[in-house]
Amino acid sequence: MTKTAIAVNNLAFNYGNLRVIDDMTMQIESGTSYGLLGPNGAGKTTLIRLMVGLLKPAGGSVSSLGKAPTRANAKNIGYMPQLPALYSELSVAQNIDFFGRIYGLKNLKERRQRVDETIKVVDLWEKRNTQIINLSGGMKQRVSLACAIVHQPPLLFLDEPTVGLDPELRVHFWEYFTDLTKAGHTLIISSHTFDDAAHCQKLAFLRLGKVVAQGTPLELCNATGKKNATLEDAFLYFIRQGEVKNNVQ
Amino acid sequence: MSSNTFVIARRVMLQVVRDRRTIVLILVVPVVIATIAGFSITDKTSLNMASPGILATLILFFGFLITGISFLRERTLGTLERLLASPVSKMDIVTGYLLGLLLFALIQTLIMFFYMVYVLDISYQGHLWQILVFQVLIGINAVCLGTFFSAFARNEFQMIQFIPLIIIPQVFVSGLFIPTNQLPVVLEWISKFLPLTYGVEGIKALMLQGQGLLDIGKDIGVLAAYAVVVLLLAALTLRQKS
Repeated sequence: MTKTAIAVNNLAFNYGNLRVIDDMTMQIESGTSYGLLGPNGAGKTTLIRLMVGLLKPAGGSVSSLGKAPTRANAKNIGYMPQLPALYSELSVAQNIDFFGRIYGLKNLKERRQRVDETIKVVDLWEKRNTQIINLSGGMKQRVSLACAIVHQPPLLFLDEPTVGLDPELRVHFWEYFTDLTKAGHTLIISSHTFDDAAHCQKLAFLRLGKVVAQGTPLELCNATGKKNATLEDAFLYFIRQGEVKNNVQ
Repeated sequence: MSSNTFVIARRVMLQVVRDRRTIVLILVVPVVIATIAGFSITDKTSLNMASPGILATLILFFGFLITGISFLRERTLGTLERLLASPVSKMDIVTGYLLGLLLFALIQTLIMFFYMVYVLDISYQGHLWQILVFQVLIGINAVCLGTFFSAFARNEFQMIQFIPLIIIPQVFVSGLFIPTNQLPVVLEWISKFLPLTYGVEGIKALMLQGQGLLDIGKDIGVLAAYAVVVLLLAALTLRQKS
């Protein structure tokens, strides 16, 4: 039986009087890469913040790995925010080491090994002692990813992880994300590009705080009824339907 | 206080240490300020009388500034959001900052104190260690206030505006220039709620009257309580604003 990594039920959230998450329901299975696709303002980042426990729902519920997303449960979660969110005076290795420590890697030998492995994964070995302030944007993104994965969490939230990356690096990231899901990790990835979305095993189309459709990329494309439909076609199709459709999967 | 407090404190210290320009400024600015104070007050007796209050004020000022800006950067760079999504508690973050930045506030305090004593040749009574312990308490208050008020600023410009709002009024009503009992009633009443009042009162008693820490129990108690309350408020108001 497949385990549920994330369960979102009738979730709602408001910024002031503005409803930014509106009656969202979704189940995300463990070991999958799940894409949240939508334009700016669709509610992707807010949804991720609710899932990691940074925000409290105005209605409904969200659970991560069977529990409410609280600090006690945070050790099993990796979070890569939209901004690189790094300490610019510290080196690549010092940043990753810091996040390793606060996520519970207390043993020095184990942590050093984990930090070194993670630096190699993001291909920054030559820059490991370089201060963040001296890195390019793409390199900062890689360090940011490294900080989120150093403790090898079963559940990983990546908010627009490939924004600003060159095509080669984007491919490298997606190869790594695929490896992670094969190893049993669950990835929740937000994106506003259809290229990224195509790499995910399952997708939710979001618009104006609502889930417009959910399913595999193939299911979503097939739902349009058009031959060789792209994800862009599928997104537009569901938007034009003008109603929430959660029954594709 | 968990082990994460010390992990955060270590990181805060490492950040400052790796920023060489900041380190140079931390070391040089107290000397410059103390020199200006020393040369502007030419009368030796007046300098001796003014120096405890000046010390207390500068400790509060430097501590407030360095903490406020550092904490604000944590918010605006998004690292606070990352920390709040991790297993660390809000109290870990606030106390980690307190420990990490207190060290630099203390270094500035020691530089100013020893520069005033040995270079500007001010005289003081009382035990040196007791004066330093009390200065640490003022430094803790400064760091707590900086952490708390950074929650209300969205950028460095706004944070800087808190200096005239939070620090400067305390300078005028804390007894630094005029004894608090000679202030208008309203200001005297307000002064009772300001930490610098107790900082100035306590350090004057130690340095000018040669009293001991036990003699200034009220000042120590109020400053300690103030630090705890502001620290708790800082933890409660901790929100990411990226």
